[in-house]
Formats: sequence, C-alpha cells, structure tokens
Amino acid sequence: MSHVNYTVFTIVLVLFLIVTLAGFAAARWRRADNMLHLNEWGLGGRGFGTFIGWFLIGGDLYTAYTFVAVPSAVFLAGAVSGFFAVSYTIMVFPIALIFMPRLWSVSRVHNYVTPADFIRGRYGSRSLALATALTGILALLPYIALQLVGIQAVLTVMGVGTTSTNTWVKDLPLIIAFLVLAIFTAVSGLRAPTMIAFIKDTLIYVMIIVAVLYIPTRLGGWGHIFAAGEAKMTAINPKTNKPTGVFIPTSGNSQLAFATLSLGSACALFCYPHAITATLATKRRDVIKRNMALLPIYSIMLGFIALLGYMAIADKTTAANVKGPGKGNGQLAVPYLFQHMFPSWFTGIAFAAIVIGALVPAAIMSIAAANLFTRNIFKEFFKPDASPRLETRVSQGASFVVKLGALLFAVELPKTFSINLQLLGGIWILQTFPALVIGLFTRWLDRYALLCGWLGGMIFGTIAAYRTSNPTTSHWAASTDIEFGHTMYIGLSALVLNLAISVVLTLIVRAVRVPQGADETLPHQYTADPEQAPAPVPAGVGTEPAVGG
Amino acid sequence: MTQPAVKTKSPVTAHPWTSATIAVLVFAAIWFTLYVPIYASATPKVGDFPFFYFYLMIYMPVTGIVLWIVYLLQKRLRTPASPSGEGGTSEVTR
Repeated sequence: MSHVNYTVFTIVLVLFLIVTLAGFAAARWRRADNMLHLNEWGLGGRGFGTFIGWFLIGGDLYTAYTFVAVPSAVFLAGAVSGFFAVSYTIMVFPIALIFMPRLWSVSRVHNYVTPADFIRGRYGSRSLALATALTGILALLPYIALQLVGIQAVLTVMGVGTTSTNTWVKDLPLIIAFLVLAIFTAVSGLRAPTMIAFIKDTLIYVMIIVAVLYIPTRLGGWGHIFAAGEAKMTAINPKTNKPTGVFIPTSGNSQLAFATLSLGSACALFCYPHAITATLATKRRDVIKRNMALLPIYSIMLGFIALLGYMAIADKTTAANVKGPGKGNGQLAVPYLFQHMFPSWFTGIAFAAIVIGALVPAAIMSIAAANLFTRNIFKEFFKPDASPRLETRVSQGASFVVKLGALLFAVELPKTFSINLQLLGGIWILQTFPALVIGLFTRWLDRYALLCGWLGGMIFGTIAAYRTSNPTTSHWAASTDIEFGHTMYIGLSALVLNLAISVVLTLIVRAVRVPQGADETLPHQYTADPEQAPAPVPAGVGTEPAVGG
Repeated sequence: MTQPAVKTKSPVTAHPWTSATIAVLVFAAIWFTLYVPIYASATPKVGDFPFFYFYLMIYMPVTGIVLWIVYLLQKRLRTPASPSGEGGTSEVTR
C-alpha cells in the first residue's frame, strides 16, 4: 500500500458497495413465479423492453477491457490496431440487424437458450452443437479474464494491492471483488448485470463527457492532441526501422488490415454467446431492431474513448508514467491519464466506472458460458432428462466455476497470455459463423461439412496467430498476418478457409447421398414474433417435447 | 407445413420497392465504413479533426439514423390486413 490516494479509494469502494447491493437486490426485480428455470436465471425472464435492452446489450458489448485496451492500442500503435474498433462497432449493427432478429424469433419459438441449442435443432447434430458450445466457452474464458485485467490496471494505478511477491496476496482486492461478483451472479442470474448496467452506463457517460470536454482544454486543444499522435505514429522506431504505428491508413496494406479487422470482428461479435444471451433476453423482435439503431449512440462514446489514447500521448506526464520502471504497459495509459488530469474525487468516479464496467460483461459472459455447459454438454451428454430446476442449479454452479477459472487465468498467468488468448478467442468464435449465421438463412450446408470447416478454421487460425512475430515478440504478436501478399485479419482468412471446406465437402456429401439430420425448425418461425415466451415447463417435470431424448 | 400456407405472398414480393430500399440502406451502412480508401486521408480537416477521424466519428450517428429508417420501413412490410400477420401466437406450444 505504497501511495494510495484515499479519496479515490473511498469513492471506488462506496460505488462498489452500491453495485453489490444492487446485484443482490436484482434477484427480486421482475420476479417470476418459478425462478428455477433457465429462462429466468439465464435470460432474466426473456422480457426486457427497448430501454432496458439498450442498457443490457450496450453494457454487455462495451467491456472494461474496451475502455482500457482500445485507447491502449491507439496509444501504442494508432489507427490500424486501435481505432479500427470504431469502424468495427459501426459495422456490427447493420450486420447484426441482418441475422439477429431471425435468431431471436427461432429461439423464442423453440425455447433455445444458447446458440448451440439452435444448431442442435437446426442440423440435428450433437457434435456440431458440441463444437459450437466448446468454442463459445473457450472464447469466453479469456474474455472474462481480461475484464479482470482491466480492473487490475485501475488497481495498479490506484496503488492498491500489497507489495507481497505472492500473487494471491498481491491481488487480494481483485479476488474479493470477483468473489462478490460470482456470488451475486449465482444468486440473481442475468437480472444482476442488467440492473448494474444502469449504474455502469451512467458513470461511463459522465466520465467520457467530462473527459472529452475537459482534457483537451488542459492539453492545448484537439489540434495539439492529434499532432502529438501523428508525431508519435510517424516517428521511426529504432528497433524496427519502421514507423511506430499508423496515424491514417493510406497504404493499401494498412487499409486492407483495417477493413478486414473491422469486418471480421464485427461478424464475430454477435457470434459470442454473451451477446446472444443479452439479445435473447429481450421481449419482442422489434426490441432488437430498434436497439440496432440505438446502440450506435454507444459507439460514439467508444470513438471518444479511443481518442483518449492520443490524449495520453499528448500528455507528457502520462506518457512518461506508462513507460515508468517495471511497467511499460499500454493498459495503464487511460488510468494514468485520468489520475493526472482529474481531481481525486473525479478520478475515483472514473476508476469506479471502469471497475463496474468490468463486472457487467463478466457476469453476462459467465452466465452465457454456464448456459452452454448446462444445455449443450451436461444435459445433452450426461443427463438428458434433467429438469429445468436441475438445469438452473447446474448453471448457477457452472457460472461460479467459470469465474474461478477466469480468476486463475488473470492472477496466475502473465497478462500477455490472457491478451493472446482473447485474440485467439475472436478468431475461434468467428469459426462458428457459418453454422450459426448461414444456418439462419439456409440449411444447404451439410452438418459434417460444417464440422470439418470449423475444425479447419480453428487449426489454421491458431497456427497463423501463433506464427505472427515482431522484433520484440516471437509469437502471438498480432491479429493480422500476410496471406498471398496481403495483410489480413487472421480470423477472416480462417473463416474463408472454413467456408471453402464447408462448401466443397457439402457438394461431396450430397453427391454420395449421406443422410442429413432432422431439422426441427420451420421457415415461418424465423420471422415469428410471439408475444409470450414459450410456457416454461413446470419445474420437476422435464418433458420438453423437442429435446426429450 | 400446414401453418405457413395461410400466407400467400411473402412480404418481400408484396413490397418490392420497400424491400430493395432496406437492402440498399443496410449494405450502404456497411460498405461506406468497410471501403477505407474513401475516407483515409488527413484532409480536409474539420475543425481540428483530420478527415479520417472526423468521418468515423460522424458516421456513427448516421448509422443509427439509417438503421432507424430501416426499422420503420420494415414495419411497413407487414401486411396490415391481419393483426397476427407474422404468425401470431399460433406456433407457441399451445
């Protein structure tokens, strides 16, 4: 506890306590008769309207890691690896508008809780559903861990944490925060993060509006901030003899990298199970459509958050602090910037916003991963006659285990490991795109072909990401690599391979007339808009007509 | 396959112009940020913002507005005749 600022610490602590109370109180919010059902615990009753849905989906997609990592990437490398996030969050909404309403409708009609549920029903393939579920869980674990990395960055700058060399003692505040999160998630389910999302968003908005209006006046205006950014990005890095970063992507290769990173990430985002969980929790089909038009408001904020990276460059003290002894960590750019620019009480609010900003997505992600485990692994392979009550209990336990796993990641493994895995997670989750998104429109692709395509994409993506290197890092250095002379996002190259395999094998499979699985969905169900969620099966009965055996 | 027979015309064939407009708007929203060469330049500067950054910042509210128009247009696709034009509650379990 070297130099803790107690004003900052107290404000963060108080806001954290408020959030904890809200998390537990959420269990009583919109209470249903029978809470022991995954529709209740895992999807908050499937009844959220446009307003709450906006907070829930927005709070889910824009994570603490976003607030810390996007400006950090802009701080370190400029437009292509950092500011692309703005282009990506623009593109994601028109893309999601194309397929998410269909997923919502078919999931509503058939009572699907997870994306793998849909794939199981659409293709009649347990193995393809298992592949989707495993990919989802695998991609979510490091993502949750990164939320912790976001909290860690704030705690480091606050000076909280003991100087002990034992990582578990050193990270005690983080562990406590996480245990609290784990407990109220297990108790309240999706209602907890939904309620906290209101607090989170209010804090984040206040923080960003103040930062955007106030910090430029301290730094000599936007002109100066952009000039500082440009100067750093165009300066030649002595280690590589190349420019440090890209201020504006003018070369063909940097433009392609920028565009493929945006497109690939945009296609991946709504394949993530936690994004689907938040979407399925809404009440009507229209709620999703409206939110695709309303959520870009959030992206405006993301744009300004990204520009904080240039502000951190323009502020010499922050830039020096980030490079300080034993740190050299771009993640600290935003926390240091706030600490240097704001009075302590406002720094406290800003830091609390980041910490709380981590809790919401972490909770939803752990719920999504838990639902995948329960529905598509536990029930599918171990206990097909599990009652809704048992399903809910298993999910509650699994959400706890998932979070413990993420904590282990964040505390025990080096930070770069989580970041690399998150990079891989994006590539992996994109490999579920063909089965999930194309499956919403046509069932032409064969289940075995899709499975092979998925495997091919996973293997190619992992190896390609492993082989990226730069002068300072030998492996896992970037999310782009060079394919046939063009710099492209690895996830997208892997997806192209995945699709090619799927199409070719489908043609072969059709030619030799391999039997296809049963499709339990009907065309009109993809545009259906039932008022009521499917009637929950009474607890303890466990006879769902479609899945029962 | 008995239920969908109620609908004789799909919404797309019933409203070809509206459907085409929706498709154009959605793809335009994606294309004008995907095709980087249109906006990857420092000039003209808008205020203190290089054009590249200004364009992306202003594009976000524009996307929001475009998608809201798409939402309104999609509402018109529903055949106004029957209140339960989209299948209503008939396919729910009961």
